[in-house]
Amino acid sequence: MRLESSLVWPKRLHWEKYFRPRTIPEALKILEEFQGKARLLAGGTDLIPQIRNRETEPKVLVDITRISGLGEIKLEEGVIKIGALVTHAQVAESPLIRENALALSEGASQLGSPQIRNLGTVAGNVVSGQPGADTTVPLLALDANVKVISKEKEQTIPLTDFFLDTGKTRVDSTREIVTEVFFPALAKNESSVSLRLARRKSLALPILNVSVVVSADAKQKKFNHVKIALGPVAPTPLRAREAEGILTSSPITDGVIKEAARKAAQEANPRTSLLRGSGEYRKEMVKNLVERAIHQALERLEARHG
Amino acid sequence: MVKEKIQFEVNGKQVFLEVDPDELLIDVLRDHLDLKGAKAGCRAGECGACSVILNDKVVTSCLIPAIKADGGRITTVEGLEKDGQLHPLQKIFVEKGAIQCGFCTPGMLLSAKNLLDQNPAPTIQQIKTAVSGVLCRCTGYQKIVGAIYSASKAISGKEV
Repeated sequence: MRLESSLVWPKRLHWEKYFRPRTIPEALKILEEFQGKARLLAGGTDLIPQIRNRETEPKVLVDITRISGLGEIKLEEGVIKIGALVTHAQVAESPLIRENALALSEGASQLGSPQIRNLGTVAGNVVSGQPGADTTVPLLALDANVKVISKEKEQTIPLTDFFLDTGKTRVDSTREIVTEVFFPALAKNESSVSLRLARRKSLALPILNVSVVVSADAKQKKFNHVKIALGPVAPTPLRAREAEGILTSSPITDGVIKEAARKAAQEANPRTSLLRGSGEYRKEMVKNLVERAIHQALERLEARHG
Repeated sequence: MVKEKIQFEVNGKQVFLEVDPDELLIDVLRDHLDLKGAKAGCRAGECGACSVILNDKVVTSCLIPAIKADGGRITTVEGLEKDGQLHPLQKIFVEKGAIQCGFCTPGMLLSAKNLLDQNPAPTIQQIKTAVSGVLCRCTGYQKIVGAIYSASKAISGKEV
């Protein structure tokens, strides 16, 4: 049980081998050789505490931080590409991300602490599959895709189709490697916002994360479409599709934004949690934060055009 | 277990070591190199007492396998003093009473140094964010933030 393991807090952790492959094929080969007993390590901000908690007991760690070419943020033909080794701090500070996907920069800059942001990677945040993960929620609103490579094939999985359950994704990290997360850079008529509610500003789990991407026609005072991502309000990060539907091609009014926010709260199913507050309270907060985020996104659009 | 040879620069000196594959940087610093400034507080990346500067970034050394830091450049709190003289940040921490029990102090100092190296004239908010990864349970944050602000004024523009 959790309680028992937390009473035993050993100084030493144990694994038998530590590899530092220089290439992706080399890393895949090591994973194959150790047949599920090996785990990939990039930032280690999730993996090392998990080993300490005995949630996982790998025999082999495969440190992928020496593989070149995975540490960059690029904009190519309208697509933002984030390599597997890009850290939260890199994303938070990147002018490219601030200009083209501010919600992601906001999410990354509020994650953990400076120390954790300097170590942890965006790709790792996605692969960990936590429903409230600070960079995952904005990436979900940005319609991001994940590039996954295995010995057999390379595939692209949309983030909307990526999460199976809490801590579970379509990536089998004992035989596959995420090499990149990518998404379309926001267009001129789009803006994005991430809001985080937590008990303190640092080193605290989020009570709620809300990210929105708003596409609007300023002249006609009309939404084109709005994307709303929420977490942790379900076993996986959630897109509030019905709320999004209410706003598609709708005139921009306070009333319709309120209605969509109410719908988003209905779609959310947050648990009552000692750490995060009651389900009822958090549902109410979903409503407030979605409404606030959409208004802020509209203000950002206006500021850009005005 | 087969030991691995690694090497890094710690506080300006090259260090050659043989470590187990499952040793963490915090333990190598404290037990092999006798640098006891970094503290093993929570061992889960949450308290920041084990903070060191690795390749110009402040990180929690309890989350880093020692081999991962191979070839790196590390500064611990012991590296702040030069020629028997305390670093300006250390002097001001002493003067302003920004220390109570002292357990968080190495992490606070290194977080502050890392900030001032990148931004010699930070705002109060930037200072608060910079030290937000280190917990002080004596609740002495005000004096710590104040001391860092004073230090930034005193040494602004100069290399710290």
